[in-house]
Amino acid sequence: MKIRTSLPIVFTVPTMVVLAILAFVPTIDAINIALQNRELSNPDSVYVGFANFRALVDDPRFLNSVWVSIEWEILTVVATMAVAVPLAVLLFEATSPNVRNALCVLFIVPALLPRVSAAFVWRFAFHPLFGLAVYPLRLITGHPVDLLADPHTAMLAVAIVDVWQWGLLFSVVIVKLLETLPPQPLEAARLDHARTWEVYAYVALPMLRGALISLVFVKMIESLRAFDLIYVMTRGGPGITTETLDMYAFSQGFIESGRISYASSMAVLMMIATTVAFTVLWRRVRRWQEV
Amino acid sequence: MLVAASVVIPILWTLLSGFKNRVDIVTPTPMLFFTPTLDNFLYVLERDSVRAGLINSIIVSGCSVLIGAALGLPLAYAVARYPMRFANDIQFFVLSLRFLPPVAIAIPLIVIWLDVDLYDTRIALIVTYSLLTLATTIWLAIPAFKRVPNEIEEAAFVDGYGPYSIFFLIALPIAWKSLMGAIVFSFVLVWNEFLIALMLTTSDAKTLPVVASEMTQLGRDVPWGILNASVILLSLPPLLFLGVLSSFLSSALKPRNQG
Repeated sequence: MKIRTSLPIVFTVPTMVVLAILAFVPTIDAINIALQNRELSNPDSVYVGFANFRALVDDPRFLNSVWVSIEWEILTVVATMAVAVPLAVLLFEATSPNVRNALCVLFIVPALLPRVSAAFVWRFAFHPLFGLAVYPLRLITGHPVDLLADPHTAMLAVAIVDVWQWGLLFSVVIVKLLETLPPQPLEAARLDHARTWEVYAYVALPMLRGALISLVFVKMIESLRAFDLIYVMTRGGPGITTETLDMYAFSQGFIESGRISYASSMAVLMMIATTVAFTVLWRRVRRWQEV
Repeated sequence: MLVAASVVIPILWTLLSGFKNRVDIVTPTPMLFFTPTLDNFLYVLERDSVRAGLINSIIVSGCSVLIGAALGLPLAYAVARYPMRFANDIQFFVLSLRFLPPVAIAIPLIVIWLDVDLYDTRIALIVTYSLLTLATTIWLAIPAFKRVPNEIEEAAFVDGYGPYSIFFLIALPIAWKSLMGAIVFSFVLVWNEFLIALMLTTSDAKTLPVVASEMTQLGRDVPWGILNASVILLSLPPLLFLGVLSSFLSSALKPRNQG
């Protein structure tokens, strides 16, 4: 359509202005607060330069939370894909279309649950005395097992819930993608006596490479938002073994000390780190997909 | 099958426990048969905090979704249909909003809303959530508008429709099904949102997830039946949209031959 019209401007400018205000005001203010020594209980504050950032470097709890966040990120992204891809292949290979569609709808359910609910459902299932999920463990060992209170298993237990939500959702997405593939290459591979797993590993999944990479990307972003799960299930505990960055920033700025400036300096670091990391990754993803 | 069981059983168990008396929950061996009771649900629904949370949740998610749709859909349409110099930059900007860690937005917003005396109000939450709904709606609506066949719009143009009436009378109705999916998705996102609500409210404007999570932190002598009931209440609205969202997912992943 080659017509001169005001539509693009009228439709774009107001929304962009609103978006820009909503996005930049908090971001800039976060930096502003991070350079002060403001506390929640006391609105008076002075600028202290980079003191908050210097304090962070020497804060072992901060370093711990960075490490926990990285661990969490890797664990959940890998586990989600490790569950989603084989499950999708299994669904695609071994079920009739009707069963598959029914299962697909079912597998979306966990992702739709509010994370608070999902976290609670599982906290209940993990309850040492009457939880259903640990009932077998209780029978075998003869005494209550509290996965969420054990420093070795707490993160794993929370990660199970994350994968329960995202891994299943992604398997549905991958099934739908497999359904869109042209059947000829797969049949050709079968005629060449490729084994079933080879058909998928060498033909079908490489055809979906671009989409799979995007899924990993989405999951990486979503894994940064695990606060709700961790908050309801462990509150960062036992000790600080599951205390991610956002959990620590929250407790510094809010419950424990109300040091809002200190928390804000963490927030600023997180913003910078994620924006840089994801901008670089996004460019990469775009390139891989175009190849 | 095993996986299907892993989905159904924990949810079903929570559902069942919502109808159980306390004695039947606190048993060393899981109990499948029990005398059901509605007490838990009645108790939950009669709590003022739950009612207030429910009302807040409905108002806050409703308004922010409406704002997201009213401002987001036109932008998405303009990006999808009109060749613009900044189209790619706009898309990337909208996407980059999703990178921002929610804590990073919430902490400065606490201070901002405190300073303008709007802390712990629904307005503050609605404005904050609008960022979320806008970004989501735009991101999902761009492909939905692109799937509307160009020929139809051109035919409408030949018939004498102006660009605005093409948007309102042709593109919107045709893309409506996918757009509904995008809007519902942004609703579920905001309804389920917890961290920002937790940090931006203390009493008056608490949304349902915050209320429910407080109930889950009641300490050792937990009224599990009541908890289960409140969690079920919280989860119902998103699940109502299961059908809409699963068909949205299917259509969004269909190959785009007309591209």
